[in-house]
Amino acid sequence: MPEQFHPGTGAQSDVEISLREVSKRYPASDADAVRPLSIDIARGEFLVLVGPSGCGKTTTLRMINRLVEPSGGEIWVDGKNTAHVDPDELRRHIGYVIQQVGLLPHLSIGENVGLVPKMLDWSKERIRQRVDELLDLVGLDPDTYRSRYPKQLSGGQQQRVGVARALAADPPVMLMDEPFGAIDPITRGHLQDEFLKLQARIRKTIVFVTHDIDEALRLGDRIAIFDEDARLAQLDTPLAILTSPADEFVRSFIGDGAAIRRLSLLRVGDLPAVPETSTGTGIEVDPGETVSAVLEKILAAGLDSAVVRGRGSLTVQDMLLATAARDESAVAS
Amino acid sequence: MSFVDYVAGNFEIISFLLLQHLQVVLLAVGLATAISVGVAIGTERSPRARSALLAVSGTILTIPSFALFGLLIPVFGLGVAPTILALTVYAIFPILRNTVTGLEHVDSAVIDAARGMGMSSGRLLRIVRLPLAWPVILNGIRVATIMTVAIAAIGAAVRGPGLGELIFRGLARMGGANALNETLSGVVAIVAVALLLDVLFVLIGKITTPRGLHA
Repeated sequence: MPEQFHPGTGAQSDVEISLREVSKRYPASDADAVRPLSIDIARGEFLVLVGPSGCGKTTTLRMINRLVEPSGGEIWVDGKNTAHVDPDELRRHIGYVIQQVGLLPHLSIGENVGLVPKMLDWSKERIRQRVDELLDLVGLDPDTYRSRYPKQLSGGQQQRVGVARALAADPPVMLMDEPFGAIDPITRGHLQDEFLKLQARIRKTIVFVTHDIDEALRLGDRIAIFDEDARLAQLDTPLAILTSPADEFVRSFIGDGAAIRRLSLLRVGDLPAVPETSTGTGIEVDPGETVSAVLEKILAAGLDSAVVRGRGSLTVQDMLLATAARDESAVAS
Repeated sequence: MSFVDYVAGNFEIISFLLLQHLQVVLLAVGLATAISVGVAIGTERSPRARSALLAVSGTILTIPSFALFGLLIPVFGLGVAPTILALTVYAIFPILRNTVTGLEHVDSAVIDAARGMGMSSGRLLRIVRLPLAWPVILNGIRVATIMTVAIAAIGAAVRGPGLGELIFRGLARMGGANALNETLSGVVAIVAVALLLDVLFVLIGKITTPRGLHA
């Protein structure tokens, strides 16, 4: 799992993407599709833009690679004002993944993945190696899939190729527009897990659009929640959003069960444990595991406590109380 | 004299005219393809010009071919030039129409993804849009070709080349010796050319359609 992003801890040079008062208004409309928006996104951060349809999240995303030109404000990527960079050149260095995948149906999987390196004039041999490496990375056997065509792949496999293609030239930034939105729920869960593991290794700066708050909570280091009037309602970590929603809109958007959901975001290592006194019979868990995962293990084993490796033991009650206590303190602050 | 005997006895002239017919048709369709694809691409940023040209080429198609050939005589005289010109003009509409449709109907997600990868519009056209529109364009060329094979016969009215000569000559002396056979040989040969070309297009389609689109 990627580390949580801690706003304010990074130096200025750690900002990968900077939105500065960026807005968008379409000529035929009298309301902003995107209201003046300022967000700094740190290098390696996973930022999720979430909200109902029409909230401007996709437009915001598409302004970053200039598929949509902003009406106002500036966008800086990697220290450069994107308005002064050739748009095609800019896009070749920003990965782009969309819900419909958009693989070129007449090109093989290998050719699809190798498109951007080809545009960047890599040698054939280097492209070939990179294609195999990427197919491997997204869990598709290169020898099996390299020469197939998009139509011969399932939706989930196609999106793996879509991710591989976006990663081809090793761009520092990835823009993802509901990449798992058209995929069946079970495969979607797998892809989300895999993608988090992948991100832990490759540490891209990711801007990810979804309308699914659960997906946002699961994936994001930080989440920006927009309401249907394109207002940024809250920008914070998943835990902070669940613990202290900024307003009624955020509260209703999260829906019921915020406390239960927190269990899957909190890690047992973060809770105060009683130093281990005996080498008890309980199960041993990793400090990085989530409270919900540990609770599941304890309940499944018919026990009432677990030993957190290197920390001490935690009972079911400890965990539930600690979770609740965080709630109180967060609400009070 | 039976029809078969007639054809056997005049095989040389019939096959000569048949080849001529084929040449005229392929030349006209080739020209029309170049013009249509060029116009379709050239007018992408000016939809008004595009629909105007589509309307004009569509309207031309409604002019009876006999009349069009006749109207071209004062300007281009008799023979090969007016025949090719008229056939080209007729062939433009189906090809232009299909090229425009083919280019417009390329999956917008594919185009969005390609642009998002940093493809310039020229490369997008060359690598993505034209190959994906190709089966539709090819079908337009096929329709234009079959149509042109038939219309080319009328070219004989302006002393144009091709199988029309057999038909017109036979009709002009209907009742005379072998007049019916002569006309009939022209008609049968034209049908044969049309069928031959149709089969050819099926083959071309199979060969040139990108593999991934068959799957």
